[in-house]
Amino acid sequence: MKESDSPLPLADVLRAANGLVRAGLIQDYAIGGALAAIHYVEPFATYDADIFFIPADTGLTAGIPAIYAHLKSLGWQVDGEHLVVKGFPVQFLAAQGLTEEAVREAPNITFEGVPAKVFRAEHIVAIAASVGRKKDLARIEQMLQQAEMDQTRLQEILERHKLKLPKL
Amino acid sequence: MKPEMRRALARESYEEKIRKVGQLIALARAFPRRSPAQSCPSNPPTLSESPIPYRTKNPKS
Repeated sequence: MKESDSPLPLADVLRAANGLVRAGLIQDYAIGGALAAIHYVEPFATYDADIFFIPADTGLTAGIPAIYAHLKSLGWQVDGEHLVVKGFPVQFLAAQGLTEEAVREAPNITFEGVPAKVFRAEHIVAIAASVGRKKDLARIEQMLQQAEMDQTRLQEILERHKLKLPKL
Repeated sequence: MKPEMRRALARESYEEKIRKVGQLIALARAFPRRSPAQSCPSNPPTLSESPIPYRTKNPKS
């Protein structure tokens, strides 16, 4: 299979995440964070990938040591809280609550021939509202301006998780 | 950039948008931002960085 020379080797990341599912180390996963937002809005610079996963191991560590060991065996490196593939940092984050719902309801996509899932636009906005940092408010504004959004679904998610959109 | 141009960019394929993000990352690596400490008056640029002689004297003094 073709290896990517891009400074953003997303296909490699997705192949590795699919490998984690096949190995039984995670149940499911989806692209979250900025790279998920870029699915719906104009491209912007981001310097890491957030992969939210549903752990196969329900223990306290969420199977993270085994995930790290598997990816290190593929040549990935560890740099602080990131795993690094071809110089690009990736965070594997155990999903829970709202993010677990986002993974379960994420639509399937194909990226450069690699099957994957990416958070729905409505979940991206709800997660940004739940975190509430300055950059999350900017993301909400950008998503509301540019993404096609199912307002009914968004309101349902916000109500289910007792969230409100901030005043922009 | 005009809002309609931004919305047009938003409608491009994911592969195309990720390719553009990759270009932005490559540009940022090639031309890293200078930190504020490097551009503050107490740390003037070297002659090779600045073609204009750096003024250190306060014009009000």
